[in-house]
Amino acid sequence: MSDNKQKSQQEISSEFTSYYLQRATKEFAEDLDKVRTADDFKNDAIHLLVNALQQGTALFSPEEQRRIVETAPERK
Amino acid sequence: MGKRQFRGAENGDGPRKRQRVVHEAPTSEVIHTSRQLRQLLAFDPDLGRSRHGLQSFKLLLDSLLSRDDKTDSAEKRQQHEARFTIVKEYLQSTKPIEDDESSTYLPDIMQTWSNAGQVNNENLLSAVPVVLALLLKLLSQSLELTPIGLGICRTLLQKRQQELISRSLSADKGKAFIISPTLRMLREAVCFDGGAIARPMFRARVSMLKSLARNMGIVHIGEEPEDIKKPSPRTNAVQLFLSALKYLHPEAKKELLAQRDVVTALTRDIKQDLPYLVLDILNGLRDHVLLDNKVPREAKSNFLSSTTLIKISGLYYYRLASDDLPSISDAAHDFLMTACTNPSCGVLRQDSGLYPREADPNAAIPSADLEELGLEAIVWMNKFKTEVPVRNFVLSNLLQNLRPWSSVKQSELITAIFKVAPELIADFFIKNKSFTFEPKLSATWIGYAAFLFNTVALPLPEYFCRGSGYAELPPPTSIVMDNILPLPLNQKALSRCLTNKARMISFFATRILILAVQKLDTAVKMHQDPAHSSKFHNNQALWTEAARRLVDEFCQRSPGIKEMINSYRSIPEDDILHREAASQLLRLYYEVIPQVALMAKFDVSPLLETALKRLSKQEKQKEAASEEDGEIDPRDFALSLKELENLLAIAGYSPGMRWFAATEQLTLSPFTTLLKVYVEALHGVSLAPVRQVLDFVAVEQQVVPAKDKGHPGISVLLETLKELTASSPSSLAALWPFLDKCLTRCTTAPVKYLEMLQDLAKDAEDEVLTVSPLVAAIIEQLPFAAKATDSKTTLDGLSRFLPKFLGYSAAVGESKPLLEAALAVMSDSFTKGLGKSLAVPKKHPFKQTKGGKSTEVKQDTNNTAAEGKKPESGDDVAALDSEQLERVLDLPDSLATDNSALIKWQNKSVDELVDEGHAISLISLLASEHASIRKEALVNILKIAAKVQQSEYEEKEQIWLLLSELAETARVAAVSQAVNAVAPLPSTIIAFACHAVNVLRDPTHSLYPKINSLLTRGPFWSVDRVPLADEVLTEEPAVGDSYFAQLNWLLAYLLDGLRTSKDLELFHKKRAKGPLFERLLAVAGNPYMRTPLRMQVLRILYRATKIEGGSTTLVTRFGVVSWLEELLKMKKGLLTTQTQGAAGNIVSSEDEVAVYKGLLKRIWDTCDKGRVKGWSKGGVEGVIA
Repeated sequence: MSDNKQKSQQEISSEFTSYYLQRATKEFAEDLDKVRTADDFKNDAIHLLVNALQQGTALFSPEEQRRIVETAPERK
Repeated sequence: MGKRQFRGAENGDGPRKRQRVVHEAPTSEVIHTSRQLRQLLAFDPDLGRSRHGLQSFKLLLDSLLSRDDKTDSAEKRQQHEARFTIVKEYLQSTKPIEDDESSTYLPDIMQTWSNAGQVNNENLLSAVPVVLALLLKLLSQSLELTPIGLGICRTLLQKRQQELISRSLSADKGKAFIISPTLRMLREAVCFDGGAIARPMFRARVSMLKSLARNMGIVHIGEEPEDIKKPSPRTNAVQLFLSALKYLHPEAKKELLAQRDVVTALTRDIKQDLPYLVLDILNGLRDHVLLDNKVPREAKSNFLSSTTLIKISGLYYYRLASDDLPSISDAAHDFLMTACTNPSCGVLRQDSGLYPREADPNAAIPSADLEELGLEAIVWMNKFKTEVPVRNFVLSNLLQNLRPWSSVKQSELITAIFKVAPELIADFFIKNKSFTFEPKLSATWIGYAAFLFNTVALPLPEYFCRGSGYAELPPPTSIVMDNILPLPLNQKALSRCLTNKARMISFFATRILILAVQKLDTAVKMHQDPAHSSKFHNNQALWTEAARRLVDEFCQRSPGIKEMINSYRSIPEDDILHREAASQLLRLYYEVIPQVALMAKFDVSPLLETALKRLSKQEKQKEAASEEDGEIDPRDFALSLKELENLLAIAGYSPGMRWFAATEQLTLSPFTTLLKVYVEALHGVSLAPVRQVLDFVAVEQQVVPAKDKGHPGISVLLETLKELTASSPSSLAALWPFLDKCLTRCTTAPVKYLEMLQDLAKDAEDEVLTVSPLVAAIIEQLPFAAKATDSKTTLDGLSRFLPKFLGYSAAVGESKPLLEAALAVMSDSFTKGLGKSLAVPKKHPFKQTKGGKSTEVKQDTNNTAAEGKKPESGDDVAALDSEQLERVLDLPDSLATDNSALIKWQNKSVDELVDEGHAISLISLLASEHASIRKEALVNILKIAAKVQQSEYEEKEQIWLLLSELAETARVAAVSQAVNAVAPLPSTIIAFACHAVNVLRDPTHSLYPKINSLLTRGPFWSVDRVPLADEVLTEEPAVGDSYFAQLNWLLAYLLDGLRTSKDLELFHKKRAKGPLFERLLAVAGNPYMRTPLRMQVLRILYRATKIEGGSTTLVTRFGVVSWLEELLKMKKGLLTTQTQGAAGNIVSSEDEVAVYKGLLKRIWDTCDKGRVKGWSKGGVEGVIA
């Protein structure tokens, strides 16, 4: 990969968010399935759910996000 | 009469009257010339013909307005031109000769209209405004005809027309066919030529805007949605209103917005409006009211009432969708965001942050009340637990109508409002009691959790009051608390969340709690801000009390630490995101409210081990995966590392962490495993926190020398291991168990290895004795490693490791000769184990300071070099010669006997005996070398005791007791020696008695209680002991901070009590807490001790050198030479930094240096040189020289 130059904070943030969501959906897959079958799960609930899950990224400082994202594998 | 005949008709097939009016289609004809048009529109009393003319004109106008230059063919365009010319010619031909306010344009049409009014012909009353609306619309597109358009508009303002308009606007609700065209016509007029006549139209609002509110209420009825081409009166009325807002001047807008009925009607039915109209309303209101800075604030706030806002918030649930228009709920959200958070929109009012409306943050409270009652003196402090008076009541009402748990946007709106009006947070949750946080795996619960997360994440208002500085009084604790943990987040609900079997629920609760603890930390720090003590009133105590109360309340509302720990323990190993969050929460508890965290007695080691094990596993998996398809995500590793960091921090806070105890789970000790993680971590992973822990533990456990001595600590080991990882990872792998063993041994018996190093130093003859104790441990363990079955691989690894390690050690300033000696010993082991000696590179390892090392090592190397040069200042201070030294340190023997004391006392009163020192002189005689004198003294002491007892002397009991016990001690000592004579007591006992008399004379003396308790303990004192030494040196001073005063007293009596070689024995005798000398040296090592006290210790040492064997004992048994050297170093260090003349000191630092040097010389001069040389292998001689 050629991205030797530093990623912008925005890139880091969006990469971290997608990683965070990926981890969260993996860890709570079972519970998320149950929520999907709940009575109050309507069309916009999916948006609500994603929004709720990714809030947690706020608990990581920009430096920590960078640290985690930048250890990403260098593979194609 | 025809009508009657109709009514009388038997069959009901005949058309009804009402239907006749509506359905009777007007006739028309095609218009070819302007003349024809003029004839058609000429006033005709025949209503049918009038209608025919108007209808023909309408069709002409329709065709003109429907033209499209882009798509129309050339022929069609030509037709349009021709038709437009007809209209133009007609208008010009009917234009009044004089153009002024009273001129009437289109007189024929106006007359027809008037006539229609008179005869009440609804068809014409509808047809005229229809035509006029279309005509104005057409004219607004033509610059040339604008003056005529304006003329028509002005004609509408004439009285006759006004009346007609007014009448049409207030027609029956069902007459939409009259109302709508009239509204359309007015709208065209208002907009004409950029609102040129909007102002006069508004002046005529009584008729022009008549029944506007009512007309806004005439909505489309029917199952089908409203037809865009046939807008309802409401749509037309709303559009007229919006156009008026657009073109009216601010004052007129203010008046328009003040018409409550209109404003209410505008939004009452907004949910049923067509999407385009809703967007028009929202955009119109936003552009021409909210964001129009010329509209006065109160006009805006009149308009944006709770009702309006709530109606608009109803649009979050708007159902009619339109594909080609933006989403209505988004538009409503944007509108509300602007309206509610922008102070210039008139809704948001400035609040005082966490101080409710009725709380005066700067209320003057008598300081006496504050002192006595504390926070209770503030009347409003506990007032807002069930109700909070707010300034933003409009917003407060709106918030209660929102449902943040079911809509992300509504949640966003509320938190945005909370941010700008923090007073509403507590208010919102107090009012919104119905919604609880009881865990349930549903979208609603998750929505609510997300909303609460956002609320807790909001920062606290600046200075709590949103002012420019802190107020006098702290904000109500309950309000602050509601901002940190809002009411639904109570202990019960949170505990249930943490223990819920759905792990996602516990994850959400954990994340909220993390934010809450962080917020609590901020709040407490704000309470502790030094600014509170710099005001006129010193309210620091009050704020401190509030902070304490806040923490207490937080503890009551947050779940117990044990629940958090259990929740953490129950998280599966692979759920690293959840584990990271849970560990972060615990860490925060340790950092912010340690009193709660430590209560749980949480042993972090097992969790730490699990984390370390998982990291090692991930490493392995990573290695395995890299060869296959690479399923392991390095980001997971980085995330796990964060959990590890949290655990390490917790380990640092919790006492009793066993860093070097290997367990079943781990093959290596936690410390070594951590070392391994650090050394083998992926490139690019930041390990600063791990590194800090390694540094700290290594120094604390004395594996490496402390950093303050200029040594880089564990860096040397880390650098070596890192290099080895790069060059030969396999040899490193074999090395770990050996290294772990050495590190563990080093910490279990540090003294042993320090002594080993000293032994080695004897051979090496180096004055700088700094070498890592680890080196000694390696030396010791090497032979065992060589014998082990897998010795080959271990030794092979070591042969790569050791030269590098020793080389770096030397490079950072450790003793080269010592390291060389160590290398020699190690080499021996290699020869035995491997059959060959340690492969030392030809180039001397200690000279390698190559560039590949970390900057820290380099930097530290530099530091060491600077220190190795020895500070110049202080070295030029010459030692005191023996005479000077004697003057400073030698005090005369106070127990020197004066036999006349035996007689002198007899004529003295008890007061004189005690206060003038006669008793003390007599006691001193017990130290006499002559047995007879001692005997005589003893008898006299008993006599004095009797005399004192019978006297009126205030402290007679104590003095009597002291003297009696002294006599008894002497007697017992004599008996134990089986000599029928009074044996000379140790001088310490005698000196103690002498000094004790002076204490007993003064009940305020700090040692008075201690001496009394000693006297009441038993009838005599043990002669092997040094009375009160333990009590002063190790026990609390009991009386204030009199430690140094008591120490001074002790040192004085000890100095007097050290006279003979027998006394000396007492000083170096082994005791439970160490020999007295050792303890005295330790006391004087205290860098904060004042010079006079340290001088006193030096005097005792000097006294010891005067006794035979004293110096030798001091050197060989108490390492006094190194001790003095250390003091010298300390003082030299001070010399470089300290300015001259610390007033009050007997001796300056420079003098002290001279004294130390003199004393060193004195010790060397008076010791048994042969023995000391042998003992120190010449080391001491080197130091003295």
